[in-house]
Amino acid sequence: MYIELHARSAFSFLEGSSLPEELIDACAAHNVPAMALLDRDGVYGSPRFHLAANKRNIRAHIGAEVTSTAGWRYPLLVESREGYQNLCRLITQMKLRARKGEGCVRPEEISGMSSGLICLTGGDEGPLAHALAQSGIEMAMECVRQLCRAFGRQNVYVELQRHFCREEEARNQAAVEIARKLKLPLLATNGVSYAQPRQREVLDVFTCLRHHRRLETAGRLLSRNSERHWKPPAEMALLFSDLPEAIVNTEILSARLQFALSDLGYKFPAYPVPDGESQMQFLRRRVHEGMISRYDAHNERARQQIGRELALIEKLDLAGYFLIVWDIIRFCREQNILVQGRGSAANSAVCYALGITAVDPVGMDLLFERFLSEERGEWPDIDLDLPSGDQRERAIQYVYERYGKLGAAMTANVITYRGRSAAREIGKALSFDPETLDRLSSLVGPWEYKDPGDTLDRQFRKAGLDLQHPRVQKFFDLCQAVQDLPRHLGQHSGGMVVCQGQLDSVVPLEPATMPGRVVVQWDKEDCADMGIVKVDLLGLGMMAVLEDSLQIIRKHYGEEIDLGHLPQNDPAVYAALQKADTVGMFQVESRAQMSCLPRLRPKCFYDIVVQVAIIRPGPIVGKMVHPYLQRRQGLEPPECLHPSLEPVLARTLGVPLFQEQLLRMAMIAAGFTGGEAEELRRAMGFKRSEARMKEIEIKLRRGMQAKGITGETQDKIVQSIASFALYGFPESHAASFALIAYASAYLKCRYLAAFTAGMLNNQPMGFYSPATLVKDAQRHGLKCKPIDVTRSDWLCTLEQIPQGLAMRLGMRYVKGLRKEIALEIVRQRDLRKFISIDDLKQRVPEIQKSELAALAEVGALNFVPAKRRFHRRDALWQVERAARRPGPLLEIEETAQESAAVVSPEATINPDGPTASGSPLLPMTAEERLVADFHGTGMTVGPHPMSYRRAEMKSLGIRAAVELATIPDGTLVRVAGAVIARQRPGTAKGFVFLSLEDETGIANVIIMPRLFEREHTVVVHHPFLLIEGRLQNQENVVSVKAESVQPLVITRAEPDSHDFH
Amino acid sequence: MICRRHPNIAREEHAEKGEEFHEFFLPPFHQAAMAFASIFVPNFMVQAVVRAEPALRERALALVDGNPPLCSVVAVSEKAAHAGIECGITKTNAAQFAGVEIRSRSRPQEKTAHAALLDIGWSISPQIEDTTEDTIVLDLSGLGHLFPAVETIATHLARRSAECGLLPNVAVASNVETALIAARGFTGITVIPPGRESEYLRQLPVGVLFPSAETAETLDRWGIRTCGAFAELPVLQLSERLGQEGVRLHALARGTGSRSLVIAEQESSFEEEMELDDAVEELDPLSFLLGRLLDQLCARLTARSLAAAAIRVRFELQPYFENATDSRKELFRQKHSPGLYESKLELPVPVRNSKMLLKLLRLRLQLKPPAAPIQKIALAAESVRPRAMQSGLFLPRFPEPEKLEITIARIANVVGEGNVGSPSLPNTHRPEEFHMERFLACLEDIETKRPQNDVFRLQKQNKHLKVPASFRAFRPPVPAKLELLAGRPVRVVFQGMRGEVLAASGPWRTSGDWWRENSWQQDEWDLEICFHSPSADRGLYRFYYDALRQGWFVRGIYD
Repeated sequence: MYIELHARSAFSFLEGSSLPEELIDACAAHNVPAMALLDRDGVYGSPRFHLAANKRNIRAHIGAEVTSTAGWRYPLLVESREGYQNLCRLITQMKLRARKGEGCVRPEEISGMSSGLICLTGGDEGPLAHALAQSGIEMAMECVRQLCRAFGRQNVYVELQRHFCREEEARNQAAVEIARKLKLPLLATNGVSYAQPRQREVLDVFTCLRHHRRLETAGRLLSRNSERHWKPPAEMALLFSDLPEAIVNTEILSARLQFALSDLGYKFPAYPVPDGESQMQFLRRRVHEGMISRYDAHNERARQQIGRELALIEKLDLAGYFLIVWDIIRFCREQNILVQGRGSAANSAVCYALGITAVDPVGMDLLFERFLSEERGEWPDIDLDLPSGDQRERAIQYVYERYGKLGAAMTANVITYRGRSAAREIGKALSFDPETLDRLSSLVGPWEYKDPGDTLDRQFRKAGLDLQHPRVQKFFDLCQAVQDLPRHLGQHSGGMVVCQGQLDSVVPLEPATMPGRVVVQWDKEDCADMGIVKVDLLGLGMMAVLEDSLQIIRKHYGEEIDLGHLPQNDPAVYAALQKADTVGMFQVESRAQMSCLPRLRPKCFYDIVVQVAIIRPGPIVGKMVHPYLQRRQGLEPPECLHPSLEPVLARTLGVPLFQEQLLRMAMIAAGFTGGEAEELRRAMGFKRSEARMKEIEIKLRRGMQAKGITGETQDKIVQSIASFALYGFPESHAASFALIAYASAYLKCRYLAAFTAGMLNNQPMGFYSPATLVKDAQRHGLKCKPIDVTRSDWLCTLEQIPQGLAMRLGMRYVKGLRKEIALEIVRQRDLRKFISIDDLKQRVPEIQKSELAALAEVGALNFVPAKRRFHRRDALWQVERAARRPGPLLEIEETAQESAAVVSPEATINPDGPTASGSPLLPMTAEERLVADFHGTGMTVGPHPMSYRRAEMKSLGIRAAVELATIPDGTLVRVAGAVIARQRPGTAKGFVFLSLEDETGIANVIIMPRLFEREHTVVVHHPFLLIEGRLQNQENVVSVKAESVQPLVITRAEPDSHDFH
Repeated sequence: MICRRHPNIAREEHAEKGEEFHEFFLPPFHQAAMAFASIFVPNFMVQAVVRAEPALRERALALVDGNPPLCSVVAVSEKAAHAGIECGITKTNAAQFAGVEIRSRSRPQEKTAHAALLDIGWSISPQIEDTTEDTIVLDLSGLGHLFPAVETIATHLARRSAECGLLPNVAVASNVETALIAARGFTGITVIPPGRESEYLRQLPVGVLFPSAETAETLDRWGIRTCGAFAELPVLQLSERLGQEGVRLHALARGTGSRSLVIAEQESSFEEEMELDDAVEELDPLSFLLGRLLDQLCARLTARSLAAAAIRVRFELQPYFENATDSRKELFRQKHSPGLYESKLELPVPVRNSKMLLKLLRLRLQLKPPAAPIQKIALAAESVRPRAMQSGLFLPRFPEPEKLEITIARIANVVGEGNVGSPSLPNTHRPEEFHMERFLACLEDIETKRPQNDVFRLQKQNKHLKVPASFRAFRPPVPAKLELLAGRPVRVVFQGMRGEVLAASGPWRTSGDWWRENSWQQDEWDLEICFHSPSADRGLYRFYYDALRQGWFVRGIYD
């Protein structure tokens, strides 16, 4: 039996064109019991290879092709765990000292780390071929001898590959001669680069991408033929019929390779505890301290729950893990970094007591098994939300420092070829011109909802490409063939893995593009599959907003806000939520949320938890939103799927809304254990496990049958679980988010100025553009002041005005202005006021003309001359002069003038030079100012563009957004405004939702699929729209169901729209 | 603007049609110090095509350009623009618009349209400037004796243009720049009297001054939209802000240009034609005529200190008649445009020796004779600067390039045009692929251009490999029949010979160019064959199976 022991997958990045699973599929199709994967300089694809092989009962041998300094590649196979560790270390060493994507090993490194590894002499790129080509057979023999010295004679195999190529056969003859002389075993391989012959085309395209060539010019870089596909044993046996021992040896060698990835030897690091104390004892003490501060000392339920959890933690030997996460939390607290655990960790009372999470799982009756169970046999998953940006980076660096460079790393993120990237790169290789490729890329729909007709071939046709043309057809086929193949390795945004000091012996490490970061070669899923514990340090924009807002409140209001102790049940917060007045509030600001809030009318914290969880694809697809709202409003009675499920579903009126509920349903209705229930969730939520899901469904039905739940009820329960599992929120996660949502709502209602500044300083984030946030704040009474170089900082700030606090826009909103320039302006301004634009230019000499012009255009320089106010065009006129450096003679003259002005600021010199007294230019009109504001800052603090045309709008019978709530349901109305959001959610069957903003508020518009199809261009491209349609007012949810859509010319300014969420 | 009815020649007619005719009180022409007329053909690419096909004037027309299948629209007529077609969309997209004619952009027609534009200018004044492809400027000074007023000239130019199938804007002004700006800015005929340029230009958008992108952006920021607004800015302060460009544009906006014309040479192309009363059939009399034309051509080139880099030959042939019996000629007629013979003689070095050119032309005509008697001859020279070269004193003498070219042409005459030169291996795995390149002058170049052949290198480095010394390729390959046993050849038949395969090595498989129509997929075998002949000859041959043509061939023999 022939076994393929030298194969590359697409994880060799542009040197292979099949996924590891496809290679395993090929083996399985011919009942081949084993295969080896040797990707280039890494084990990137090995977890997927291993998992796919396990499923098919195939042995997955691991190895890698390792590049040497001499230019060849050692094909190395792992025989034992020691070999695997050596391979990982070898790759880590070479990677960490080189730039990303490069690196090679030195011969002396090989000999030091060869134990447990088997070396083949390789194919085209192997050491033998290299030596033969360079120096002839004698040197080739010497090269093989060296390999024997490095790896041991018994661990070197002379490799033969046959791809029907003369040169290769000549090399094979030499190799056989060498093997006979040195008495080494021969080994047949096919140097596989793809599973199927047709994938050679993809490999050729990849070769072009690797060498930055086109197919037309790649010439001999391309494959000579299509023979590097996986070949069945019979074919290989025929090919090597003259050398049968080469085939037999593959089976013998395969039997020698005992290592499998399930035997990784990964150990989680131990947390250093004081002498004489075990980790568990230390953890118990920390939990006990936390329990006292978090719970009432007599809370028996909490005590019991914590006791149960600690027992399980001890049993599973997870104390170290909890302590390590607790340590990160402790660091953040000490450094005043906001941090909060999210996800299933919030189900744990231990996490709550340790301060990892902020939701009381006992009080909320959350299911601990969702977080941790004995059956599952995997590490718990704790995700921590941190303020995005520098603060999160500090926490990450702390973990690096604490566990060392080889003890902690980020998980990778495998970037794959998707629609646009595939079309662009393949098009380039096929010599299509850039304009066509741009057009094609722009046609790949960004909507979440994919029109069934919006296929790749339609996009090709729309881009003007004729699919009848063979070259275009080939382009199209290749685009489809490369979908989902890995392209390169990125870095996951927050996933960190830690190990007992030796992470590099578990998985190779690589440098990340970001300095100071190290990345493992596996992605998050792979790490989880391989049982490596990870902590997600996620950046959450809203956490940064909260943190910034607290600082601003401290500075300007003189108040200290503790987010852990916000006043509960603040009436202003609930009033705003019930009115859906939630622009900027975390998780409840989207259009869908806004259309639900007036019906759900949250009255307490738990209502917010429900609100966060209900607008999710799970409940929406499962058609659970409507029944829940009906029952909540008393319009229909609460009804459980089965009487036995009442304790689980009573809280949500008989409607399952949270993942925990489905777990409990499975436990009650089908007698699942906690672990089995969690396995059910994972199976249903995990794309790769469809077969597993089927198995579990059978088990679920069997369990229900045993409990006497049959027929329709059984079907209903199965269906509600199935539709929900993939997209639902865990209750604990919803509760964690609800806490943040409440905090953001509270700050917005009580400290609008600080909250708005915080929001604007952390853009981009959230659902709305800065322009909408500003307009919303203004409608709530906040005075927003324009950018002014004499007052604005880089960030938005607050200023005291007679009526209270006003918000000053920061210079970060001036498009094209560099941060360092803005900071220098602020520094110079603090030293001494600017007396003219020339003065500013002279004191901030790095400022470019375009930056000065951008400032002038948005009016930021209007206030520079203290005595006489400029208009924007005056400033623009001066900017042109200031930006042109005068000759040396005039420069001396001007410097003298400036010095005189500095010595005597009251002197009556004309600061703008001898000829400039103002400008000959006319001031900007209101329309021009509006255009300049949107062009230069993306927003305006002046009147809303619609307000200039209100009288005209009235004459056309157009209603203001604020009026809509007072109009009876079913009335034919006309509304108009700036489109601030366009949505086509995946769950809405092609309906498009628009938010139209005018000076009074936001109007919601629903566009039916047919109207959208007809008016596609108008809806998608026009910034201002006039909509005519029937007003729908259902339980205070007001929207207009459009019957006609017209573009409206309001201004040349183009407000941003946040589309395609 | 195109496809509009152009203003008629006389002012009254303009008035009748309600079209624009901008006129001011003018002094008598002979009193005017200087006057320039600019002719600008808007939407030039479209006009050039419509000129050759006037029926298109009333249709919506889109012109496409680019390499198929990726053609995109490069120009549209006014009607097509109204229909919603925009430049940049693909041909496939444009084809979806109903009632739109799609034509390819025609550079030859643009060239002739431009030549016609120059002719229109030269018909009035010898002093013309060939400003751009779509614009010329005429110096009208001294024409006072021929024309009573400048407006008559403008009208005359418009009429001439209309006769040539072009609908231009014509503007007359006292300086070149103003004339150019007015022609671009105003449709129809515009006559600007001296001293009132600024007044007249003030309504035009500032873009007609062609400011640089940076300046245009600054003016836009300043809110300066018209030439009038720009002209009002103080020039000194403007110069501080926009530098010399600002001063220049300011002068243009005020209509105070001062540049002089760059007079175009009348003979910019070197073409000679001769129509024959009686069609010529024999080479000798044709050579005589060609010699005469070449003499003239070379004399003109010499006078301008130029030489020919290539000679284009164009013969109009006598039409065939029904009684033509030569089927080969019929085929010829089907393949090419009827009655035309075209050939281009590329020269290795610039030449103006008419005798040498004649020799080369004769050889070309012998190699590729015209299919019918010739009734019109046209020769055109592509002119370049002549070669100036001095050989090194101690360098070996190479043959003179001119003589070498004649020798090569003679050889080509015998062996065929594509079979002379230096063979080179292209960068491909395709077996036996080679190109013939023109002989290179420098040996070093040849060395550097020779591709590295892995087989040769391997052979050199691996002495133990017994690769035969040489291989003789059969061109074209010889069809063969092979008998296979268990996938390996055992018997062969080719060129009437039969043989047994004594030893077979292979298959050596190659395939490639899968993205093209001429992809290939071949299995080669090296076979030692013992032929069924009395002497039992043996030989080592290379056979291959062409999987796409599904046949066996002999590629060659190892010597």
